[in-house]
Amino acid sequence: MQATWVFDGRSSTTVSAPGDVLAPSRIDERDSGNGVGQFARNDRPMSILKKVFPKGDTLLVWFCKFLSYLPLLALLGIVGELFFQALPSIKVSGFGFFTTSDWKPGSSYANPISTSGVMHPPGAHFGIVPLIVGTISTSLIAIVIAVPVSIGAAIIIVEKLPAKLSGFLGLSLEVLAGVPSVVFGLWGVLVLGPFLSHHITPFISKHAPNVPVLNIFKGPTGAGEGLLTSGLVLSLMIIPIIASTCRELFRQVPVTAREGARALGMTDYEVVRKVDIPWVSSGIIGASVLGLGRALGETMAVAMISGSVTGTFPANIYSTMSTIAATIVSQLDSALTDSTNFFVSSLAEAGLVLLAMSLMANLFARFLVKRVSGTALPVGRGV
Amino acid sequence: MAEAKKIKGRFLKLGWLGTGLAALSIVAAACSSNSGSSPTTTKAGSTTQAGGSGQNVTSELQSLEKPPTGSIALSETGSTLLFPLFQLWAPAYNSAYPNVTVTPAGTGSGTGIAQAAAGAVQIGASDAYLSSSQVSKYPGLLNIPVAISAQQINYNIPNFTGKLQLSGSVLSEIYQGKITNWNDSKIAAINPGVTLPNLTIVPLHRSDGSGDTFLFTQYLSKSDANGWGTNYSYNTTWTGPAISSALAENGNGGMVSGCKATPGCIAYIGISFLDQTNADGLGEAYIQNASGKYMQPDSTNIEAEVNSLVGQTPANQAMSLIYGPDAGGYPIVNYEYAIVNSTQSDANTAKAVAAFLAWCMDPANGGQASYLSKVHFEPLPSQALSQSVTQLKQIH
Amino acid sequence: MFSKSHLLRRKILDKAMWALATFSLVCIVAPLAWLVWGVVGRALPHWNWSLLTTKPGGANGGGLSTLIVGTLVITAGVAVVAGIIGIGSGLYLSELCPEGKGKILRTASEVLSGVPAIVLGFLGYTVLVVEFKWGFSLGAALVVLSIMVVPYIAKATEVAILQVPTAFREAAEGLGMTRWQTLRRAVLKPAAPGIVTGLIIALAIAMGETAPLLYTAGASNNFPTSHITHSPVGFLTYAVWTDYNQPLAGSAELSATAAVLLLVIVLMLILLSRLVIRVSKKYSINNSHGGR
Repeated sequence: MQATWVFDGRSSTTVSAPGDVLAPSRIDERDSGNGVGQFARNDRPMSILKKVFPKGDTLLVWFCKFLSYLPLLALLGIVGELFFQALPSIKVSGFGFFTTSDWKPGSSYANPISTSGVMHPPGAHFGIVPLIVGTISTSLIAIVIAVPVSIGAAIIIVEKLPAKLSGFLGLSLEVLAGVPSVVFGLWGVLVLGPFLSHHITPFISKHAPNVPVLNIFKGPTGAGEGLLTSGLVLSLMIIPIIASTCRELFRQVPVTAREGARALGMTDYEVVRKVDIPWVSSGIIGASVLGLGRALGETMAVAMISGSVTGTFPANIYSTMSTIAATIVSQLDSALTDSTNFFVSSLAEAGLVLLAMSLMANLFARFLVKRVSGTALPVGRGV
Repeated sequence: MAEAKKIKGRFLKLGWLGTGLAALSIVAAACSSNSGSSPTTTKAGSTTQAGGSGQNVTSELQSLEKPPTGSIALSETGSTLLFPLFQLWAPAYNSAYPNVTVTPAGTGSGTGIAQAAAGAVQIGASDAYLSSSQVSKYPGLLNIPVAISAQQINYNIPNFTGKLQLSGSVLSEIYQGKITNWNDSKIAAINPGVTLPNLTIVPLHRSDGSGDTFLFTQYLSKSDANGWGTNYSYNTTWTGPAISSALAENGNGGMVSGCKATPGCIAYIGISFLDQTNADGLGEAYIQNASGKYMQPDSTNIEAEVNSLVGQTPANQAMSLIYGPDAGGYPIVNYEYAIVNSTQSDANTAKAVAAFLAWCMDPANGGQASYLSKVHFEPLPSQALSQSVTQLKQIH
Repeated sequence: MFSKSHLLRRKILDKAMWALATFSLVCIVAPLAWLVWGVVGRALPHWNWSLLTTKPGGANGGGLSTLIVGTLVITAGVAVVAGIIGIGSGLYLSELCPEGKGKILRTASEVLSGVPAIVLGFLGYTVLVVEFKWGFSLGAALVVLSIMVVPYIAKATEVAILQVPTAFREAAEGLGMTRWQTLRRAVLKPAAPGIVTGLIIALAIAMGETAPLLYTAGASNNFPTSHITHSPVGFLTYAVWTDYNQPLAGSAELSATAAVLLLVIVLMLILLSRLVIRVSKKYSINNSHGGR
């Protein structure tokens, strides 16, 4: 990775003592035409810096060092602060938080009562199980759709398409990655959801076989807000990250291996099946998990499309439900009316659970992709 | 406890470091002076008695409405039900008094209360009054009614054009999953001569925190005190039992479109969405009040409900208007509140806040039908108005 | 060796794979087109240029002018805050830190990019808005969004710098440049297009965010003020989220219009990033093959 010229703290300070003999500003005007002058042009900002900080050089290095520690500190701060805010909820709810399914804020107009030294409204009870189920089930629907589509698209972009067309597709992927979550939500709630519930889901529900597993497609189809619509929209949102990672992975399969396979008379399908995919298989799994991590934490689109019902398990694939992220965004306001702050604390604990799920997915995905390639790994949405 | 505090200190420090990103660019953060300690003259200039004559209130409002000179900027945040009204009021007040600009924002009642308490905004907006524990947590916070809202119960029963009457106990059993079909005998019993179809009831409730959920669950709690009241009580977040046939919807808009798409549904919807429920052909139920009368909300029965309860309203106006005693009163009615800290950052801001709110509730200005009818709210009747004026004068 | 039917099967499989792969392309492009059409179709019939210059609010919903400015101000702020932090830390990780020492920092930055936006928004509210008493403000919004996008910028910076040929640095060192001079002229300058591209994409993501902003920037119908704290800022995604569900006439159209504007801005930023790459490629080819 670090193939290049790396500065070492001590040696470079001696090289770069201020007031060096060969002040580059002097050669700059005369030699501006040639390659050397390229790097010696416009020295002025530097000399000002030098006047302000005689040791500006080291100072700037320290400054950059400070900056690069900020993400780590932010990460620790986020985990620590969230845990701290969740403490009252952890004390009161205990393991019940992970084993029960009621999501009730209690009566905030009655006098607060105390459990384990924590004040909370009477009747407050928070169990996160349905939210975890909702979070995981939407993400799984998204993954089941997004992974094959992404792999197919990555293969065709790398193997078959002329540069211009694959450039256009790359652009489509980038735009898809750039579409704001809330716009996906708007489309899902106004266009896709009603379309599905009017034209598609009643038909599927009617004709789906009533056998185990497939019978999740039977039953009332609702108004278009729910598990299926959320999963579909989420799949669109995570296709860019999976497809672009797979694309980079396929590009790194050595040409020699592929040419060898072709020389053996393999068809395209066989090359893909026997060379490309095995070569990067764990990377593809990693890319999928990366998409999963993204889907788990998606907020706005799901808050608009899921129906946001808490406390129940989805009865079929069209049921309304909610995820942890959507619940936090739609209930934080209401939680603020709880003068004991217990509701907010429970949302913090829910956030902590969500954070743990996404970070585990993220770390695992990174581990898998890095085993195949260090550079294919995108950050965030994979633009 | 001491240990918890120590832990808190540690994590706060971590949090600080983590958000130390701020330190880089936001030096100005430190400059934000929060001069909350202005002179505390704790006297409520109560010159008029609550319930004074209408004439008196009008002249008082007029004297309050004029803001002090100099450019003043106010922020309002909170209730999404009141937001459309503040969107109309703010520019209108600004054109009457160009030196005052009001910035409204619809963020939700909980945020409105919290931000007003924290002094981050001058005016919060809430569909629900402050609870006693909130009052003791934020002493000095006033809830001042500025308008009256109501809630309607809508349904979607295909091909049914009759008149549907519903009582609190029937609604309570529907939302508990005890009544599951429109042809249930308990519904038939209060709808003599009406034939309801064999159709599964789909109760809709709000998924987000909302004043509408607060009003509806409070109606259920009062009208079915031993059933809903003891078991589920009321809150801005849905407190009812999870029943398999129920659906949750996001926002009033979601309730309307969800009900339209779901034959058999029943939904509680803020009256500001009356135009939408009419346009989508949803039925509107007649709701039983405490005297056993069934009615749909209109300006007469809403005003009757308010006036019947003004006498019992405490000076701080933290009062439910649900299920009042008047025989002609519609049972699901509420004050829409401005949440204001009685101590403002300076005298001019305090005067401007009182002036703007006085203008908003004045039937000759913000309380005109041209504003309120857009969301089907009602102006404060004069008795309630004079109570609000008394509270406005406490802002200093 | 192979029977005819075997060959046929292989050919069919081959064709089937390409058919499926093509179908998967359709699965990407068609919904995207549908989405754009669905949103634009709701905004276009009500399109009026005055939407861009009128404030929100008033009897018919008003326009989006202050929200557009708010979004631009937030984005510009993120460009400065996250830009400095991201580029600085990317520079440190790729060039300045001792070999092998940056692994934890790099991993932390990458993992930070996996923190759900709503968690950041939640903490932004409870810590910055409430605990630090900043109120709804540009400051709180900038901190939260910067935490979100710094990893993108850091990664883009690191990748761009690693692609700069070693020879450039050696030449600069040979000229006796100081370390900072070398970095600036021989490393940062050739890496600039890559860094700028990463920055632009990060900004596109930042401006499309809603969850972290709802409880930090608050909402406002007025233009942003010069105050970093205690002054809420309106932004376009807020209109999409709130107005689609409002009773006043015109608000649903306003929501769709805001969504279209966001799509247009995001598309422009992505095209801009591509332009940067194209122009810089031309430039670098001229330089390296000039032969002078």
